[in-house]
Amino acid sequence: MKNIVLKFLALMMLFAFTNASANGHAATTEAQTTHKEETYKTKSFSEMISGFVASTGIVALINPGEELDSKGQPMSTFHKGAGRVIMILVTFFLFWLAIAKGFEPLLLLPIAFGGLLANIPVAGIAGEHGFLGVIYSMGLSNEMFPIIIFMGVGAMTDFGPLLSNPKTALLGGAAQFGIFGTLVGAVALSQAGFVDFTLQQASAISIIGGADGPTSIFIATKLAPELLGAIAVASYSYMAMVPIIQPPIMKALTTDAERKIKMTTLRHVSRLEKLVFPVMVLTLAILVLPESTPLIGAFMFGNFLKESGVVERLNDTLQNALINITTIFLGLGVGSKLAADQFLVPDTMFIMVLGIIAFSVGTASGVLMAKVMNLFPGHKINPLIGSAGVSAVPMAARVSNKVGMEYDRTNMLLMHAMGPNVAGVIGSAVAAGVLISLFQ
Amino acid sequence: METNLIVEGFKFMGLGMGTVFIFLVIMIASMNAMSYIVHKFFPEPQASATPSAPAQQDNKKVVAAITAAIKHHRG
Repeated sequence: MKNIVLKFLALMMLFAFTNASANGHAATTEAQTTHKEETYKTKSFSEMISGFVASTGIVALINPGEELDSKGQPMSTFHKGAGRVIMILVTFFLFWLAIAKGFEPLLLLPIAFGGLLANIPVAGIAGEHGFLGVIYSMGLSNEMFPIIIFMGVGAMTDFGPLLSNPKTALLGGAAQFGIFGTLVGAVALSQAGFVDFTLQQASAISIIGGADGPTSIFIATKLAPELLGAIAVASYSYMAMVPIIQPPIMKALTTDAERKIKMTTLRHVSRLEKLVFPVMVLTLAILVLPESTPLIGAFMFGNFLKESGVVERLNDTLQNALINITTIFLGLGVGSKLAADQFLVPDTMFIMVLGIIAFSVGTASGVLMAKVMNLFPGHKINPLIGSAGVSAVPMAARVSNKVGMEYDRTNMLLMHAMGPNVAGVIGSAVAAGVLISLFQ
Repeated sequence: METNLIVEGFKFMGLGMGTVFIFLVIMIASMNAMSYIVHKFFPEPQASATPSAPAQQDNKKVVAAITAAIKHHRG
């Protein structure tokens, strides 16, 4: 019996072996043929040099080979050669803005360097398998990074000034008019035939008026990822230019007497109020507009951790380590969209123009709203804090304070302006939620 | 299909600004209500009063002890 089993096993093994060897043989012959093609051919030294020269960046820029853009279509010669050189120069200009002029260097530097890397020919760093491309698909195309930034911003935000003077939240709402005014402007432009923006693209552009970097990026990746680079750059550079853009508008719309209005001192806000507030706003968002809860939820999560006072370690990480790491990745990922074939298009110019209009309209409507509110009885509001309703925390509030001090050295508006400022963040998150819900 | 984009834009504006304002107005109302409730039912303990009260008691105790000691000494 044992013998038979052994024989049977031996037979099986023989079969298996012959089978495998047959297969193996076929495989080896195939491998040999491909192997033969890949074998290193001896080249003369001059051939090696000319081959190396052909692979340098200079040649790739002057005489580019065939490349496909992000949509899988062949790139134009301009975008492969001169366009890249122009974009590299643009990133140098952004370096200068960030370092010499101090324009939001924390984000502008990673964005600009990402842009520099994305425009390198041959290497394909921003391509699907390049590291910028990996960063982009890891955290930007799925809207992860803006959300994490929002958590950090929430942990840095103090809602005290808003809680002690709740009605200033309306100023933060009025400033969102910049978003929707620009939306109309953008669709009017494309209706007139200057550009070809879809409603989605127009919405993504107009959110620049919310003056909130993460929100802009969140919306842009959701509605118009092809415009992300231009929108993010416009958004962050205008946020950095708040101290230049806002004061002329604020001064033009207010009288001297209005600028000198002194506001009543803010009352003390108890710890429990601050602790209840984030949960309360999130509850409202759940009930009214669930589409806005990714942004508001993350924001309030960060704030709740901070106000709870029992998770100092997590709060510290959110405010520092986590937001710093995410900022680096977010910047580089956005920078990957500064590739010439995506950025050097006529749309970019319109986005830049529409962005600054959105900012200015937002500022103006915040100031005007404060003037309207002063028509009603109650404590008077200094219209200068209306401009802080565009988010841009805390830059816009500082600008309100600075302009106020120009007219009255003793008039401290900073804390009063922080109210509309943080309400502006909530307001733009709500506006973003509305825009997303409209395209569902 | 030809749609008037500008009209669409204005519709978006109406809905968007409306939602933002309604949200903020509700938020303001609930903020006021919340502050009222918190102040009425959960007032913060007065920070300055708490440490002084035991100190005064201590003082009294010390005075009592001293008086007792003096009495004892004299008696």
